[in-house]
Amino acid sequence: MVLVLALGDLHIPHRAPDLPPKFKSMLVPGKIQHIICTGNLCIKEVHDYLKTICPDLHITRGEYDDETRYPETKTLTIGQFKLGVCHGHQVIPWGDLDSLAMLQRQLDVDILVTGHTHQFTAYKHEAGVVINPGSATGAYSSVTCDVNPSFVLMDIDATRVVVYVYELVDGEVKVDKIDFKKTTATTAH
Amino acid sequence: MVKKSVPDWLNSSLWSTAPPPTPPNDDDDDGRRIGKSSSSDSTAAPSNSSSSKSANTTATVVPVRPEPPPAVEIRDPLSSSNNNVENGSGTVEIRDPTGDDVSVQAQLLQELSRKIVNIGELRKLASQGIPDGAGIRCTVWKLLLGYLPTDRGLWSSELIKKRSQYKHFKEELLMNPKDWKSKCFFARQSEITRRLDKSTCIEKDESLPETGVVLPRSEITHGEHPLSLGKSSVWNQFFQDTEIIEQIVRDVKRTHPGMHFFSGESQSATSNREALKNILIVFAKLNPGIRYVQGMNEILAPLFYVFRNDPIEENAACAEADTFFCFVELLSGFRDHFCQQLDNSVVGIRATITRLSRLLKEHDEELWRHLEVTTKVNPQFYAFRWITLLLTQEFNFADSLLIWDTLLSDLEGPQETLLRICCAMLILIRRRLLAGDFTSNLKLLQHYPSTNISHLLYVANKLRTQPAR
Repeated sequence: MVLVLALGDLHIPHRAPDLPPKFKSMLVPGKIQHIICTGNLCIKEVHDYLKTICPDLHITRGEYDDETRYPETKTLTIGQFKLGVCHGHQVIPWGDLDSLAMLQRQLDVDILVTGHTHQFTAYKHEAGVVINPGSATGAYSSVTCDVNPSFVLMDIDATRVVVYVYELVDGEVKVDKIDFKKTTATTAH
Repeated sequence: MVKKSVPDWLNSSLWSTAPPPTPPNDDDDDGRRIGKSSSSDSTAAPSNSSSSKSANTTATVVPVRPEPPPAVEIRDPLSSSNNNVENGSGTVEIRDPTGDDVSVQAQLLQELSRKIVNIGELRKLASQGIPDGAGIRCTVWKLLLGYLPTDRGLWSSELIKKRSQYKHFKEELLMNPKDWKSKCFFARQSEITRRLDKSTCIEKDESLPETGVVLPRSEITHGEHPLSLGKSSVWNQFFQDTEIIEQIVRDVKRTHPGMHFFSGESQSATSNREALKNILIVFAKLNPGIRYVQGMNEILAPLFYVFRNDPIEENAACAEADTFFCFVELLSGFRDHFCQQLDNSVVGIRATITRLSRLLKEHDEELWRHLEVTTKVNPQFYAFRWITLLLTQEFNFADSLLIWDTLLSDLEGPQETLLRICCAMLILIRRRLLAGDFTSNLKLLQHYPSTNISHLLYVANKLRTQPAR
């Protein structure tokens, strides 16, 4: 039972001052084992804050990040799942499932986490899942201003992952759940 | 009778303890110490015991606690079969059975072998100190704590019942620590999932690898997500439990680090620590009001040690279950000391410390005045640990077992007896306390000097308000 937090596109301080207080109150240290960040934090203070929630932080570079040394993509294995992280501005068209699927095949991962569109989506593609946690601060994106703050918490247990989606809608935290089991799959290609 | 000044018998040189270690041939005072086993204590037996015996007879008529013969370092014969306890500083001493001891032992054995054990008689015998041999202590403690009924015939059925009850508790509340998180949690989680799945939308058939399908989301009823801070949330409970378990594990590791029974990496030590941990976790879960408080491990340790060293194999194997129930019983009188909210109430620890203070004032006003008024040594600084941990930290392990014999067997009950013993501890070192200032007194009281336990218990006995039988 491993809890993995996935979030990104905070754009602090340029587009948003901070995480919504309701989110902040939920993110207490000690519960989460890993954090996956798609990028665009943008400053070091946010990085330090995330480190206090959980020391195991995986982060990829977004186009506005101050820190230039984050990698473009990252892969890690948790339980029986292989996770891949990428900010997503490199994949065009932005947010397009087929292009993201190519990236997923390229990284050879079961779960791909990308951002940049600031919209939460979760697609099932072949034997894997493509998740976009959205923007945790609700910062405006290049495409739209109408953004609800959201992030994702994954509970990975061997071959089963339960994805909890936390969204701030009209000032209230709404939590949804998505269940996904890894099929003993088709190692394609 | 109102004692205005210090009574004569108290002023006798008998009761002053020896100043820091001198080689063991003191003729002037009888403060013989059953000290730590690293120093070999073989004082000249006959002369000392006869002189103190004669001094004893001049005292007032009270059942005289027989002077223990000099402590000789012997390996505990019981332990060699059960666990490799004693090496070096971890040795528990056994007193060389001499005449007096053997008679107490014989009497106890006789009492224990009756069909219906007479508790009153047992208490009287036990208060004189239970000898270490022949595995008497474990049975006597079990009887005194009410775990075993007085009727011998009922023993086996009671034991079976209680042991299976504990096993049931364990199964329900604990899981195998390796997969505790995943199993217990997964079990809860799948239960939640099942419950939620029934009430919310259908999931698509995942056997066909469909591409580009937006995964269906199901809404969660409030609180059932991992970051929930709600009190009723299963997840929140889980995280809180984990915190308590972590603290228990940490404290158990630190219990009696000098004793091989508890510390070290040997298989027996690890299994002993595991047992302590399980007992404390089960207790914390069954008592959500008080949970686990630091210090409970110290009260648990002597109980478990005694029961685990039972020469009867069957009992030693089930020591964990027996210890659990006895621990609950023992703690029932002292629970309020561990509850922070009750600190300032009539039953809390502060009230108990005030009672001790009043007891001291009643018996030895001069000392009381010197301590609390002149040198301003607040009794909380030293008595807190004495009372909450039932004196396990003030004396070495063997001595604390003897003190517990008296604590458990006294008719007045453990709370009253504990206060009398604490008072006696203060009175025994009164000379040094009266001569000291705040710093030295505090230092002395927080590191109580080794003393002759039987003297201590004798003095404590004399402090009874009602005449002893």
